[in-house]
Amino acid sequence: METLIQSLVSGLLTGSLYAMIGVGLTVIFGVMRIINMAHGDMVMLGMYGAFWAFTLWKVDPFLSIVLWIPAAFLGGVLVYRFLLKKIVPAGELTTLLYTAGLSLFVANLALLVWTGDYRTIKLDYAVMPLRPLGIAVPIPLAIAFGMAILITIALYWFLVKTPTGRAIRATSQEPEAAALMGVDVDRMAVITFGLGTALACGAGVLLAPSLYLYPTVGEILVVKCFVIVVLGGLGSVPGAIAGGVLLGVVESLGAVYVSVPYKDAIGFVIFLLVLLFRPSGLFGVGKS
Amino acid sequence: MKRLLLAVALILLLAAPWIVTAPFFVHLMIMVLLWTVLGASWNLLGGFAGQVSFGHATFLGAGAYTMMILYLKLGVAPWYGIILGGVVAALIAMPIGYMCFRLRGPYFALSTLAVAEIIRLIALNWESFTAGPVGLLITTLPKVTFWGKALNWESKTPFFYIAVVIVLSALFATAVIARSRLGAYLLAIREDIDSAEAIGINTVQVRVAALSLSAFFAGMAGGFYAMYLRYIDPDAVFSIALSVEMVFIAVVGGLTTVAGPLIGAVFLVTLGETFREHFLVGHLIFYGFFMMLAIRFMPEGIWGKVRLWTGAAPHRDKS
Amino acid sequence: MSLLKVTGLTKFFGGLQAISDLSFEVKAGEILGLIGPNGAGKTTAFNLIAGFIPPTSGHIVFNGESLIGLKSYAVTRKGVARTFQIVKPFRKLTVLENVTLAAFLRIPTRKEAESEAGRILEKVGLKLKRFTLATDLTLSEQKRLEIARALATQPKLLLLDEPMGGLNSTEIEQASKLVLDICRDGVTIIWVEHVLKAIMNASHRVIVINYGKKIAEGKPDEVVENPEVIAAYLGTKKQSHVTD
Repeated sequence: METLIQSLVSGLLTGSLYAMIGVGLTVIFGVMRIINMAHGDMVMLGMYGAFWAFTLWKVDPFLSIVLWIPAAFLGGVLVYRFLLKKIVPAGELTTLLYTAGLSLFVANLALLVWTGDYRTIKLDYAVMPLRPLGIAVPIPLAIAFGMAILITIALYWFLVKTPTGRAIRATSQEPEAAALMGVDVDRMAVITFGLGTALACGAGVLLAPSLYLYPTVGEILVVKCFVIVVLGGLGSVPGAIAGGVLLGVVESLGAVYVSVPYKDAIGFVIFLLVLLFRPSGLFGVGKS
Repeated sequence: MKRLLLAVALILLLAAPWIVTAPFFVHLMIMVLLWTVLGASWNLLGGFAGQVSFGHATFLGAGAYTMMILYLKLGVAPWYGIILGGVVAALIAMPIGYMCFRLRGPYFALSTLAVAEIIRLIALNWESFTAGPVGLLITTLPKVTFWGKALNWESKTPFFYIAVVIVLSALFATAVIARSRLGAYLLAIREDIDSAEAIGINTVQVRVAALSLSAFFAGMAGGFYAMYLRYIDPDAVFSIALSVEMVFIAVVGGLTTVAGPLIGAVFLVTLGETFREHFLVGHLIFYGFFMMLAIRFMPEGIWGKVRLWTGAAPHRDKS
Repeated sequence: MSLLKVTGLTKFFGGLQAISDLSFEVKAGEILGLIGPNGAGKTTAFNLIAGFIPPTSGHIVFNGESLIGLKSYAVTRKGVARTFQIVKPFRKLTVLENVTLAAFLRIPTRKEAESEAGRILEKVGLKLKRFTLATDLTLSEQKRLEIARALATQPKLLLLDEPMGGLNSTEIEQASKLVLDICRDGVTIIWVEHVLKAIMNASHRVIVINYGKKIAEGKPDEVVENPEVIAAYLGTKKQSHVTD
């Protein structure tokens, strides 16, 4: 029983970060119909950002998020403005190919500059896990979870309470109608891409103290992200959150309880089934 | 004039290992030829029919494992194994096609990626059949004599010529298909699936046929890859990276052209392998960079651009 | 002997009834006009017959065989071709390539398919433009390309969906002549059209649809006088002539 709760808690914590990454991807798709294959590499950049801030400037990785999130937002804005904007009119597939190219470029550049050596961040205060109610909770993961919750709340407030956020949601649902109502669709696209990138990078920063870092981590992450986002419904923020948490929990439980071979394949099989038979996602809230 | 040039090119190609003997260069040429086949096979579906697959490594791997298992367990000679590898790949392409072609555009692409990953995981887990992560190894290749002289498998030269045969057949097949009714149907499907159906084209069947043909050549390339490297494991032959590289080679070289994949392979593989010799990692950076460059400025690819300049093809893309 | 017999054809899109119990026959060699106000369901009827969408209920029998359940390519193979209201040529292919593709349905070799395509292009007056990209044609030329492509599949029945939309009066006359030529060659035609003068002058019989239901059927001059038809087009307040 204790193992079950332990593993659920672990899964929930990691899942919250998957959720953050997934929300970034889904929001970019929802507003601009861009399938961003480079999303995982944005997470990787956030991870390395935290690492170098810690290693070179002795800044606590969690504090460095204050620098990296705005930087990532700006980076996303620039990437969209100067690289993607001209490609998007050519269609979803062409854009997908383009972001695939970008992904390969960024990951390999990181490989060249930072080498493929695995990196870790060793925090003094993170050696012993917390033990609330006897459940072992690694401190970095707990902090990451807490911050992810805060960021999600901030995101919710932004999307629901601010005019820009509402404009983004409107554009996501009906771009033509939104444009007719006076929404600057282009500006929404730029902001959304910056937002999505910031979320991905931010998640990377938060995850950095808990994982081994290597430049090609984006490849696996982006595939997992797609599974989350498709399951939750393309374009749906609550769907991505649910999907991310679900994936975290399933992976965690699977690692402990399920020694069935092929268990990694199950996620992909479900992904395929959803794509084929229920493209609006498990909860039916996405767009196909 | 064109035929003369082709003949000269062919002679140069066949004589190449005698002209440039350094092992690295022969290896490079073999790699270029291998990737030409992979690019051309992908192009049949992705370029001509406009169906972008991100899971072609499935067929490469199927061919590789077929050849390996037939040789190691049943003693079937590698050259037959390569052809059978192509056949097996073509066969598994059919159910995959019927399933995935229900989706369009980027969703089709993602579904092929999922299929490739599932197959990779099956290969990783089905240890009794594939030896799982341990992989399969060829220690000795069969003794073959040509005019009394035994082939030296330690040298790269015999592999070069096998690769040449595969490449020439792949390019020839692509050229024949391009001129045929099937080739025309593929272009129609790329343009407008509904219109294609309106003029009597069973687009699902035609796409599955294209996928099968494409898989056949990818499978043969996979069989050759296994024979040349002598060792395969699921992560080497079923990886997403391989699938993605095939796409890039075809796009940068020139979609819908017969020679595009060759040009793309010559360009990218030469750059990549040369870079890899010196820097060991990160060689795919060129693939990413030129892919972005091509999509933005040269969507018809290097060879497509050349054909536009020489007037060999009408201006189809007005962007 | 009817070439096409439609009985009780009904189509619901969710809760919306687009076609309601539509029944009619077309005899071989006829030109049947299908008219009605905007949104009456004319294109939907075409989509149903041509196999683009499945009916909710009803029967469609062509040449003695049922077309129900057949997908659009199968319907074309049986001998029913259609054009689209908003033309859908293969834009990045040449005029000749467009029609050759359609000719390939019955002729497997490229050389012969191309020459058949050339023959059809001559007939619709596009032979000189055969190496032009479809996207570079004028609207009238694209409409003719659309028809040429359909003809290349050697149909027994041709469904024309507003072939005259957007054309000027000279082009309309040319198009009318073409429709009559096609009929003379032995192809039965059902055409949907808003340019009433053209369709009334060229059709043997006319069917009027409103709100998915057939409200009138008969010779053009009879149908035009039908008060229900007049009401459907103009509302019941005024009395006016439908022609023009």
